Amino acid sequence: MIIQIVLSLLATLSFAVLFGAPKSELFFCGLGGAIGWVVYLIFLGLGSGITIPNLIATFALTVFSRMIASIRKNPVTVYLISGIFPLVPGAGIYYTSYYFIMNDTAQSSSYGMETIKVAGAIVLGIIFGFGLPQSWFNKLQRNR
Amino acid sequence: MAVTKEILALSVEIGDALLRNGAEVYRVEDTVMHILEAYEIESYDVYVLSNGIFASANEDKDDACSMIRHVPLGSTHLGRIAALNQLSREICSHECSLIDAWNRLEECKTIPYGKKLTRLFFCGLGCSCFSYLFGGKVLDALIAFFIGVVLQLLLDSLKVHKSSKFITNILGSAFVTLLALLLLFLGTPIHYDKVIIGDIMPLVPGIALTTSIRDFFNGDYLSGAIHMIDAVLTAFCIAVGVGTVITIFRFLLGGAFLA
Repeated sequence: MIIQIVLSLLATLSFAVLFGAPKSELFFCGLGGAIGWVVYLIFLGLGSGITIPNLIATFALTVFSRMIASIRKNPVTVYLISGIFPLVPGAGIYYTSYYFIMNDTAQSSSYGMETIKVAGAIVLGIIFGFGLPQSWFNKLQRNR
Repeated sequence: MAVTKEILALSVEIGDALLRNGAEVYRVEDTVMHILEAYEIESYDVYVLSNGIFASANEDKDDACSMIRHVPLGSTHLGRIAALNQLSREICSHECSLIDAWNRLEECKTIPYGKKLTRLFFCGLGCSCFSYLFGGKVLDALIAFFIGVVLQLLLDSLKVHKSSKFITNILGSAFVTLLALLLLFLGTPIHYDKVIIGDIMPLVPGIALTTSIRDFFNGDYLSGAIHMIDAVLTAFCIAVGVGTVITIFRFLLGGAFLA
């Protein structure tokens, strides 16, 4: 588990570097990715399929991004864009095209559907995350 | 009375820079409006699309003026967005004169990406971490690191040649798959699927997807649709790149390889 946390943090941090995130924010970008990934793993372990964990993880990531954005006075985008990468269905895209090439229509369409579902879960997660009123997050700013 | 024009130019230029570096439409619109208000322009209209800005100010007065910007979908630079955000905060709290703002804007626009070596290293690191996270072994992660470094080299050189997004994504994913399969062919005991998955992560349209959702959420359906199409097409291009190479390998080496 610790390896997973460290690696997801590193992975997200690396991508944040590629997208030119400010140096001072790199760690927080990585932290967002790690939080998303850990939440995903925990709920995946509960055996609730792949969609729900993605939804909850994206929600957690979005809320975290908004909190940290308020505290550190930066755009939410900085944290959200980097942190979303572990959850984006890269594997889904790969397996869909792989089985498509292999003429395995059943596997291909099942992975295709899964990819679309995961994308949908991410969409809903972000929407729910932004559904929380901004005033809750503004409090964080004032306390500082 | 040239002041209106100058203020509008500044705010549109800041909006342009934000949009160019990947901010979502709502933020751009909001920023432009706030800057106009901060310099005491009362009547204005701003309309932002994911690849264009339309703004006018003081339409009912003598110094009416309006501006249009075309902003091609570009690459994302979070540092510039953060810096521009800071700048617009300062403008809004009246800490920044018009001339200062112009200078600061130029600084923000030229914040560089990291050094080339740093970028190469971090691309490799990111790829290898993802490869491991998605179920690869240590060797897979190691291989993914080197392929990731080479991928970033390729992406950089494609950027210099200003290749289209389609070509970049197809070539990038095809290249990654080619390297992984070549290594497998040479007898390296890797899980090639994990290596490939890790290495296509830099190409995967996470940003376009996120931006699209946020645009939809804020009611900018047109911009949301543009980004969504961008995301879907990018995913499609990656699939094409990976698929083509796998097909070629299967054709050359028979179906048993890669089964």
